Amino acid sequence: MNVIDITGLCKQFTGKRMTKVDALKGIDLKIAQGEIFGFLGPNGAGKSTTIKCLMGLIRPTAGTAAIMGEQIGSVASRAKIGFLPENPAFYDYLTAEEYLRFVGKTFKMPEALLTRRADETLKQLELWDARKRPMRGYSKGMVQRVGLAQTMIHDPDLYILDEPMSGLDPIGRALVKDIILDLKKRGKSVFFSTHITDDVEKVCDRVGVIVKGQLEALDSVENIVRQGIEGYMVQTRLSRGNHEALGGFAVARTNETFIEYFVPVAGFNEFMALAGQHSVEVTLVETKRKDLESFFLEIVGKGK
Amino acid sequence: MIKTASVTLIGLILYGILILPFTTYLHNKPFVEKLGYVPSVPAFKTIAADQKELVAASLVLKVLIYFGGLVEKSESQLAIPPDYMSMSRLLHGAVKLDPYNMDAYYFAQSFLTWDVKQYKLANDLLDYGMKYRTWDWCLPFFAGFNSAFFLKDYAAAAGYYQRAGELSGSDLSKLLAGRYMQESGQTELAIGYLSAMVKGEHNPALKKNYQIRLTAFQEAHRIEVARDHYRESRGAIPAMIGQLVSGGFLSPPPRDPYGGEFYLEGDGKVATTSKYAFAKVKNKSLKNAGDVNERH
Amino acid sequence: MTTIIGITLKGIFRDRVFQGIMVTACAFVLIPGLATLSMRQVTELSLTLTLSLISFIMLMLSVFLGGTSLWKDIERRYTFSVLGLPLSRQGYLLGRFGGTALFLLLVAVVLGIAAGAVVAFTASVHPPDRPIVWGTVALCILFDVLKYILLIAVAFLISTVSTSFFLPVFGTIATFLAGGVTQQVYEYIHSPASKNLSPIMKQLATGLYYLLPNFSAFDLKVNAIYGLPVPANGLFLTVAYFVVYVGLLLSFSAAIFSRREMR
Ligand SMILES: Nc1ncnc2c1ncn2[C@@H]1O[C@H](COP(=O)(O)OP(=O)(O)OP(=O)(O)O)[C@@H](O)[C@H]1O
Ligand SMILES: [Mg+2]
Repeated sequence: MNVIDITGLCKQFTGKRMTKVDALKGIDLKIAQGEIFGFLGPNGAGKSTTIKCLMGLIRPTAGTAAIMGEQIGSVASRAKIGFLPENPAFYDYLTAEEYLRFVGKTFKMPEALLTRRADETLKQLELWDARKRPMRGYSKGMVQRVGLAQTMIHDPDLYILDEPMSGLDPIGRALVKDIILDLKKRGKSVFFSTHITDDVEKVCDRVGVIVKGQLEALDSVENIVRQGIEGYMVQTRLSRGNHEALGGFAVARTNETFIEYFVPVAGFNEFMALAGQHSVEVTLVETKRKDLESFFLEIVGKGK
Repeated sequence: MIKTASVTLIGLILYGILILPFTTYLHNKPFVEKLGYVPSVPAFKTIAADQKELVAASLVLKVLIYFGGLVEKSESQLAIPPDYMSMSRLLHGAVKLDPYNMDAYYFAQSFLTWDVKQYKLANDLLDYGMKYRTWDWCLPFFAGFNSAFFLKDYAAAAGYYQRAGELSGSDLSKLLAGRYMQESGQTELAIGYLSAMVKGEHNPALKKNYQIRLTAFQEAHRIEVARDHYRESRGAIPAMIGQLVSGGFLSPPPRDPYGGEFYLEGDGKVATTSKYAFAKVKNKSLKNAGDVNERH
Repeated sequence: MTTIIGITLKGIFRDRVFQGIMVTACAFVLIPGLATLSMRQVTELSLTLTLSLISFIMLMLSVFLGGTSLWKDIERRYTFSVLGLPLSRQGYLLGRFGGTALFLLLVAVVLGIAAGAVVAFTASVHPPDRPIVWGTVALCILFDVLKYILLIAVAFLISTVSTSFFLPVFGTIATFLAGGVTQQVYEYIHSPASKNLSPIMKQLATGLYYLLPNFSAFDLKVNAIYGLPVPANGLFLTVAYFVVYVGLLLSFSAAIFSRREMR
């Protein structure tokens, strides 16, 4: 079963003086149970808009979506998820502990479990020492940690996180990555938006790239990485064999002992055959691949 | 740092220079300016929202504090004529806002009659109040006194006194006595009324006011008693008060607390040159004072 | 909903609103002294002043707490986190309203007790002509509470459509003033004095009369101050009016709020 099922989602904002912004132009997306999904996109692409639609904070102009079979906007659709809004803000007169207890109560957690889970999550996110202080006095990163803690307290099956890493220090980022990987191990689903391709590469099963309200790419990280192989860097010894025969291939670099060729995937066999025929000694072969970052940049560039 | 300190210092000095003339100015500001007019009662009612009783009370208090201040001043011979017109206007406005406000009726009664001689206006106001304060014996008591003493409408007075008697129990029974209900009982009627007022009064300014008037009437009554003795023993009415004093009928000689001279009118009626009011007090006509009081 | 009520109350207390009220309530101490300025109705005046002070405090509370509650949540982006929880918008709105109304009631009870003490003290020094009817005083405060709860509901309704701070606050104040005079205006236009008024104006005023809340029915101050009897059927009708009117206001608010975009 899909935990998230989005079909044809459109959102048009009407601003002041009837200016219209098409923030989403027909998004189709399905997230399977147990999947870690990275939602990538440049600023203003529509990531937060999609997430707000899912959470029932705004109503889509067209299209439908369901979370675990429940239509979005209903209370039931929010009953089993942990949601972290973008740049979250919480009742700042409450302490972290009080806020977690409040969240737990809205999820109808039993009292004993609530107390235990509140303590656990506070410790896990290193808020234990600050738990009795009002959140008014928290730093940006601490508030972000409270935001993560309140998604986890009731141990939901699906997490919807809008930029979970923003505002966190490197230790915090690593912590969040660990948490997501741990959730993955426990069969939970995570849908999170980010700009940072590195995070996606490390933790995600699948990634979607949204540009100007349209889903431009949707694939598993594995596929992207595999398809990202552009060719090979082949190093040969200068002193051996006839290099004239390899003149059809681009020379990337030379020095006194080596010549390095860039060989596209399609030309690899031909290159190796030619090298064998003309007794060129191949000393090193290196795969040349685009990383997710350039994959992302390419897609965004295409959209322009 | 030094700059801010010096600016502050200059400010303080300026404040010191200014504050005295400023407060003196405000202190001497005439009454109407101090309070302003009640522009229109419906407008006031709107602004008062659900605080009509509070607004009414504050209007009454303003009048009261103003008047208290004047009484203080008149003690040190600085008699400023009270602006009775504005006072009446404010009190009429007050009872429009809160028709139950006893202070307003009571205070209006205290000056509308003796000082301003607007007996009809006073009784109209009291009639209006009686429609609301149905349990209160004071209003018919005042109205009865006004009818008997000032308006000489004994029938109406009897009706009011009857009502006051019913509401209060026995207190006023002696005031219902027929002998008050005639020309000759006037002084005693006033003394009875004023004694009751003095006894029930907590406000020092008003109490003093009543006390002075009571003293004046008590003096007048003393003259009346002496005059009657004179007539009994000599068989004729004296022409002058001096005759009573020299004849040993009146001792010590009467003194008008209002600073006037008592004299006997042709028919032997006791009167005073002060007309039972301090000199300088203008008895300005109050013809328009009740304008705010549209009749129901 | 009860959790939202709890959070609302906590928020109001943590914002030191209650302490602020207690400071204002220190004015109660001055009332016996002020009341002696009266000539013939010291106790009545002290009742007037205490009841007015309570009313004033409650007016401030309903305007500022009622008018800013939702606005603050939206402005400070609390709605994103809270409405992402499995709470219905209606439940959230009613919880916010309930918490504010409950706080008002609490304040009225505390101030009512203080007022009772102040008035009892004045009455012991200056015995009034007519005994104070304590039941009517309590009833007067209670109906004042109802009135201001109704005003809070008005403030919430305005907040659900407005994105600014000023509209709910000034809208609520305007409604309060208008609601206090509708009865007078109504009586005026149905009296011969309004002959010269155009019929359109009359119809407009009559329409507004039925539309706007009518606060005059809730005003029992005169009855409390002068110990006048209160008609039971009038009270019953007023309570019924309160229930129906607040119910309508809240259902409109809930309908609008659940449709509102949190963007
Ligand atoms: N309330 C709004 N009114 C009008 N336009 C809006 C509103 N909210 C968002 N938009 C527009 O919708 C588009 C998508 O915005 P969205 O917040 O979803 O971007 P995002 O992908 O989350 O960007 P970021 O990475 O900066 O968070 C943008 O063009 C934005 O200008
Ligand atoms: Mg965003």
